[in-house]
Amino acid sequence: MSAVLFFIAAIGAITGAVGVVMLRNPFYAVLALVAHLISLAILFLLLRAQFVAAVQVVVYAGAVMVLYVFVVAYVGDQGDTLSERLRGTGPVASGLRLGGALVGGALLIELLIALLGTGLEGIDHYGAGYSEAHPEAQTFGTPAYIGRLLLTRFLLAFEVASFLLLIAAVGGVVLAYRRGGIREEERDALTPLDLIRPLGTGTMREGIGRRGS
Amino acid sequence: MIAVVGYYEPWWIQIIKALVIFAVGLQLVPIVLLAERKLLGRFQARYGPNRVGPYGALQPLADILKLLTKEQFRPTTSIGLLFALAPMISILTAVAALAIIPFGDVQDIFGTKVGLYGIDVSIGPLYLFALGGIAFYGIMLGGWSSGSKYSFLGAMRGAAQLISYEVSQGLALVGVLMSAQTLSLTGIVIAQKGMWYVVPQLAGFLIFMVASFAETNRAPFDLTEADAELVGGYNTEFGGGRFASYYFAEYLNVVVVSGIATTIFLGGWLLPFGIHPPGWVDPFVVLFKMGLVTFFFIWVRATLPRLRYDQLMSFGWKVLLPLATLNALVTAILVTVTH
Repeated sequence: MSAVLFFIAAIGAITGAVGVVMLRNPFYAVLALVAHLISLAILFLLLRAQFVAAVQVVVYAGAVMVLYVFVVAYVGDQGDTLSERLRGTGPVASGLRLGGALVGGALLIELLIALLGTGLEGIDHYGAGYSEAHPEAQTFGTPAYIGRLLLTRFLLAFEVASFLLLIAAVGGVVLAYRRGGIREEERDALTPLDLIRPLGTGTMREGIGRRGS
Repeated sequence: MIAVVGYYEPWWIQIIKALVIFAVGLQLVPIVLLAERKLLGRFQARYGPNRVGPYGALQPLADILKLLTKEQFRPTTSIGLLFALAPMISILTAVAALAIIPFGDVQDIFGTKVGLYGIDVSIGPLYLFALGGIAFYGIMLGGWSSGSKYSFLGAMRGAAQLISYEVSQGLALVGVLMSAQTLSLTGIVIAQKGMWYVVPQLAGFLIFMVASFAETNRAPFDLTEADAELVGGYNTEFGGGRFASYYFAEYLNVVVVSGIATTIFLGGWLLPFGIHPPGWVDPFVVLFKMGLVTFFFIWVRATLPRLRYDQLMSFGWKVLLPLATLNALVTAILVTVTH
């Protein structure tokens, strides 16, 4: 059962990840990323990390990707796609090609180090220990276990990450504020309905023939 | 097998349980549908449906039969695969959420111990929020793939509404989770033996209910399908069985949210004044309380007018979210002081 689930989720994760890179339509690319994230959540469940699986879906599929879908659905696939820019000539395209190759290679090497370091060791095990003999192992992956880790061993990293997010939120507000939205003097000019129809149209004053006076 | 902590049954009991919950849960939808139409009729000083069957009791059956025998069509501008997939996502997440509502404690049925719930997950309400996050794609994809402006606007509103109110809904529960010191829903019910959480967590209960109206797209927050301005919102272009799926999912979501409110705030299967009925009464107590909460949903729909979209957004972010945060903070301080 768990082997079947693993292969379904693993194929889903790989297909989704390939789809993000290969699909030309940005909307479908985002949907592929959602499929990938949900498959990853199933893989987390198989590793008995229930909390991480739920948070993966709530935060990534349920909040971050919602914003992606929101923006892509509004903006659509306008302008040059990345693949067109990559195929073009000139300094931008060659720069992109070189940068892409460098970043991709660095990521590959990093992943290989991580996989060889811990993955080979983990292949022999069935996720976290869940045997009857070790009741303390059964708490692995529960919210209480992860909460304790976050407040003891990883307290510094946790706090630094939350400060980073706070700075990002404040920065977003400041940037949006500086752009200013609609200024007071522009507000009147931005109501075209007033230009089309005279003041008081559709009111009771118009009904008795005293519109706009 | 996934995420089971504490007690769990042999596999054949789990299959029977899944079937029973599925059957009972799906029976609730036509009842809620009929109750809503009858009650709305009464609230508006008319009879409501009274032609099909005695007292119009077979009206939901007739509705569903009509929808299922209708022609399946889709607009030429729509995107076929997503158009077919979107209603399925909606109904799948609604049904899956039903699994965590506890209808009773672990009972002895014919010598086998059976927990009267689908699964007692250690992550509790997070399971619900994860499914809620996926349910968003049912609405979003449905509206986007229809290739219609009205559908698209409805879906966009739905997207913004869901992510705005999900935060408040989650934060409203944090107070209860801190008091109960557990995420397991059966654990939360057992922690209410002395007093239901609706009393000490009244603010959390009210915030949760308001946010739930937005999360289930019910009036006065049904901006996603505001029929006065958007024709039908995200499901404008859907007909027949696909529309029935959306409709069904909406009412099932109301049932699920009623169940969650019952479990977390209204004491689940517990009765007040220390009355301990035999175990088989428990599911009926839960169903009765769920009925009361559902009635509240219908009552509000008949009473309040629909909000404007900017009012909805500013209310969610500027009123509900600070209140929910304050509630969580005050509860955290109280829990720390009293322990």
